[in-house]
Amino acid sequence: MRPISRAALRSYVCPSCRHGIGAGRRRFGTKIDQTPDIYDVVCVGGGPAGLGLLAALRASPVTSKLKVALIESQDLNKARAWNMDSTQFSNRVSSLTPSSKEFLQKIGAWEHLDTERVQDYQEMQVWDGESGSRISFDWSMDTPAFEDMRTVATMTENANLVRGLLGRIAASGDENLKLFSNTTVAGIENGTDLQTEGPDLSAWPVLSIKPTGATAETQPSSRIAARLLVGADGINSPVRSFADITTHGWDYNRHGIVATLSLADPITPPFPAYMRTAYQRFLPALGGPIALLPLPNNHATLVWSTTPENAAHLKSLPTPAFLAMVNAAFRLSMTDLTYMMGMTESSSESTSHEDELSWRIQHTPLPAQIPPMATGVQTGTVASFPLRFRHAAQYISPRVALVGDAAHVIHPLAGQGLNLGLADVAALSRTIEYAVSHGMDIGDLLTLERYSSERYLPNAKIGGACDLLHKMYNIPGQGPVTWARSLGLDVIDKLPFVKSFLMKNAEGY
Amino acid sequence: MTSFRPTFRALHSASTATRPACRHYLPQRSLVTRNHSTSSVSADELSHFSALASSWWDPMGPSRILHLMNPLRHEFIASCLADSPPPTTTTTANSANAANLHYMDIGCGGGIFAESLARTIPLDPSAPAPTATRAASMTAIDPSTMLIQVAREHARMDPTVDAHLRSGKFKYLNTTLEDVLASTSPSPSSEPSESTLSAGAISHPQFDMVTLFEVIEHIDPTTTTPQAFLSNCLRALKPGGWLIGSTISRTFPSFLLNQVIAEAPWPIGVVPRGTHEWSKFVNPPELHAWAQEGLMRAADSATTRGGPSALEGMKWKCMGTIYVPGLGWKMVPGSESWGNYFWAVKKGV
Repeated sequence: MRPISRAALRSYVCPSCRHGIGAGRRRFGTKIDQTPDIYDVVCVGGGPAGLGLLAALRASPVTSKLKVALIESQDLNKARAWNMDSTQFSNRVSSLTPSSKEFLQKIGAWEHLDTERVQDYQEMQVWDGESGSRISFDWSMDTPAFEDMRTVATMTENANLVRGLLGRIAASGDENLKLFSNTTVAGIENGTDLQTEGPDLSAWPVLSIKPTGATAETQPSSRIAARLLVGADGINSPVRSFADITTHGWDYNRHGIVATLSLADPITPPFPAYMRTAYQRFLPALGGPIALLPLPNNHATLVWSTTPENAAHLKSLPTPAFLAMVNAAFRLSMTDLTYMMGMTESSSESTSHEDELSWRIQHTPLPAQIPPMATGVQTGTVASFPLRFRHAAQYISPRVALVGDAAHVIHPLAGQGLNLGLADVAALSRTIEYAVSHGMDIGDLLTLERYSSERYLPNAKIGGACDLLHKMYNIPGQGPVTWARSLGLDVIDKLPFVKSFLMKNAEGY
Repeated sequence: MTSFRPTFRALHSASTATRPACRHYLPQRSLVTRNHSTSSVSADELSHFSALASSWWDPMGPSRILHLMNPLRHEFIASCLADSPPPTTTTTANSANAANLHYMDIGCGGGIFAESLARTIPLDPSAPAPTATRAASMTAIDPSTMLIQVAREHARMDPTVDAHLRSGKFKYLNTTLEDVLASTSPSPSSEPSESTLSAGAISHPQFDMVTLFEVIEHIDPTTTTPQAFLSNCLRALKPGGWLIGSTISRTFPSFLLNQVIAEAPWPIGVVPRGTHEWSKFVNPPELHAWAQEGLMRAADSATTRGGPSALEGMKWKCMGTIYVPGLGWKMVPGSESWGNYFWAVKKGV
């Protein structure tokens, strides 16, 4: 429970609980005299979720008049000026579902993205490295003959998305808009009752914000009050701490390795020519799946979830050995892979990873659907991040709402993290729109509960499903679990309506 | 947060149509020196609602169901204005979406509706109205001193509403309708109302829109009648203005829903026990008839009697609404006789 003065609590807390809350709270006279600037929406965090919310609010005629502010500790000008050669791709890439793309189109942000740099894919091949059971996701069941295959998802660089959203916000003009770039939140506290001088802000969050960088020492911090404070500030959300919302979850003890790869030409050209495929192979012996998702010009982005030890080892390998391991991970048996993961890269060794792969591959029966060989790694793109599961106990508190990673962090094996964040933002902007058109206070719990009830269960459902898949595919060897999951995959693959239902669920329809 | 948790009352309630009531017409309150000319509120209604005052704005409190209904009131008003907007005195090109309607909320209670409407008043009067309700000012009255106090305190927690309170565009008055009508203040707004000036016979303030949400079933039958009370409401209305309200019909389904289920003990019930008295509920045809009679009486003056000509240009609108646990309030045409419904009367020009 965040400390709120007694008068403000009257509305929210039952009389017996009210006793004692707020007692002993100190007030500092020096700060109270300064009246804060009042904003309708203050969003902390300038990632895709925070910028998406701002762009959505600016795009709707109902909410475009709201006074909004965004606080980002990084330099937004750098994000605005982001530029990369057309043969190079950032390693932070997200797979946007059609409903996410629809939302971006609806708020007019999609046209601000560089669409030369995004890649649709129409098919997804997922298989079990232990048993070889396979499922193929595409919309062929729902696509009439002679029509183009529907997109499963669109690979988009996060930097491209952020730049596009900033472009959309800039296009909406700068009236009632303030972007605090290079600015950190030094503190959040409840405001004060201005008594006869003005309104009672004792239940309003008031942020002290401070510019970062060289000029930080000389510039004073300023104070802004928020009718609605939105936490889009990531897994360690300061807004969530202020609202005293607990979060539960666990670390997977896995790391995700990402890299931008260039691929060899496919052995058989895709048909139809626009058709692109994403590949994911579960590797129970190595602790998680490896996925290769298509980017333009025969590039692909790699996401390999594995144990921290394996991740550190893979990152230390020289490029040819790293590529050999990636190609092996899509082709070799678990036994071979475990052996190769244990190989130390020493120049005196007679066999390198590449030799090992080419020798072993001759003795491995290869399935029909495997990705083309990875032939190169873009310099500086191999990186890793820890995989975690977190879910906030609530998304809302009086005058506070959490979106994106501040509310939930999930396993990336289904590529749903950013999509859930954008779905939050779409729901929250709809809620704010409804509130404004019905005279409701956009920070009131009665308003915000519409957002929370729309998003909490879907997020828990997707997060839970990813967690279940992770756990199921971490049991190595042949046994009842392997048998059951393989049977499940085979059955689902042969039942088009079940598959279609699952895909629609994953898409957010 | 203790303040947010799933309410079993709301989710598990089998009840559909209910509403904790709110308004009361306080007649003679011994503590207040003011003498009310008419007493339309019973003392037991007053004590019931004053006891709820402290939890009026608690989103999970006893008034929750009323808070949830509030957005629908805006929608119903918008639908009335879309059907037939009141005549505007200014004939500018954008008068269709100008914020130029003066509202009075009778029996505002803790201010759930009044505050939400005041929030839609633009700070800049020349700006186009942000919502279809087109409010320019709001005068909210309630006979309970305690509830007006709660309403004023809560309004101060929103800087926009606070600014309107300070500028006088939004007013909470601890008074009764009868006293408002007896007062001689010229107009609800700073600018004088033309109709008030032109019609010399009428000296009391007049409004474009008068709202009466969940009030008519709480008036005191021993001192006044709903008929007389409605006539007074219509007197406060400018020609061409709308009187909009909501109430509950007195039928068997509504008895089951509002008395048996809604006021049942936790976790079934959603309304505090004793909120409603079934016999005071009003059926739509009764209301329609009272409104017609009321319009004719409102046209009475010292020298002439209002006849059927007072009904020319009158409009009547009715829309049932149902509370579905887990989904909230829904407007369901034709469900008027099941329980809750909105109604509206437009005074002829």
